[in-house]
Amino acid sequence: MSTLIMIDQPPYGAWTGREALDMAFSLAAFDQPASLLFTGAGVNWLRQAQEAGGIGQKSVEKNLSAAPIFGIEAILADRSACNTYGLDENSLIEGVTLVDADAVLLTNYDHTAFAG
Amino acid sequence: MAETASVTFTLVITGAPYSSQAPQTALGFAQAAVDAGHRIDRVFLYGDGVHLASALCAPPSDETNWSEAWSQFLADHSVPGVACIASALRRGLVNETEQKRYELPAANLRAPFEIAGLGEWVEGRIKSTRTLYFHAGD
Repeated sequence: MSTLIMIDQPPYGAWTGREALDMAFSLAAFDQPASLLFTGAGVNWLRQAQEAGGIGQKSVEKNLSAAPIFGIEAILADRSACNTYGLDENSLIEGVTLVDADAVLLTNYDHTAFAG
Repeated sequence: MAETASVTFTLVITGAPYSSQAPQTALGFAQAAVDAGHRIDRVFLYGDGVHLASALCAPPSDETNWSEAWSQFLADHSVPGVACIASALRRGLVNETEQKRYELPAANLRAPFEIAGLGEWVEGRIKSTRTLYFHAGD
């Protein structure tokens, strides 16, 4: 029973992405297979060298770097959303797999969820 | 008419009452599911959805009090209602245990709602036939 947690909100300005990450980590902590899919403005989570200090927040990069430690199976990013936001292999953090977020992708999972 | 197999549900509500229709839609679904002979395993409040468990909502008398309506449904059907502890603490929703732990001036969790971790959602997701999400939709 594999779950895909989708994050379509940008890393700052909304809290739902962080709460979605907690959902994924929680699944992994209970040995339930889980992957993350970043889509829409959510792909900005995966941008290298975020400087969130200017708005008094911590960069989400650190939260995300815990994903492999928790046992998250894959960090996926929608290719077309990355194009929209000017992200490519050189500007994405390590460990991200580019995919086409379409109906075919979703057939690999028996459960999908957003945090909000 | 074909016999419909009984199905069990975990309902996740992430939209707050009065800023979204999520709690109302979820209650309509829950009532219909129970009426059709299905079971609601649990209701999990996450993100802004935790506001539904507030004992302090006091809408005008000609509007539905969704916190009260949900509490009544949970009590009538012995369905556990759980607010995510991390979401709840961030948003100022606490029971007496958390009030003491964080030395807060008040507790405001409406019975029979409880506060627990995301493990409750994980368990519901595994045990129930289906897990449905009710989001704010914005």
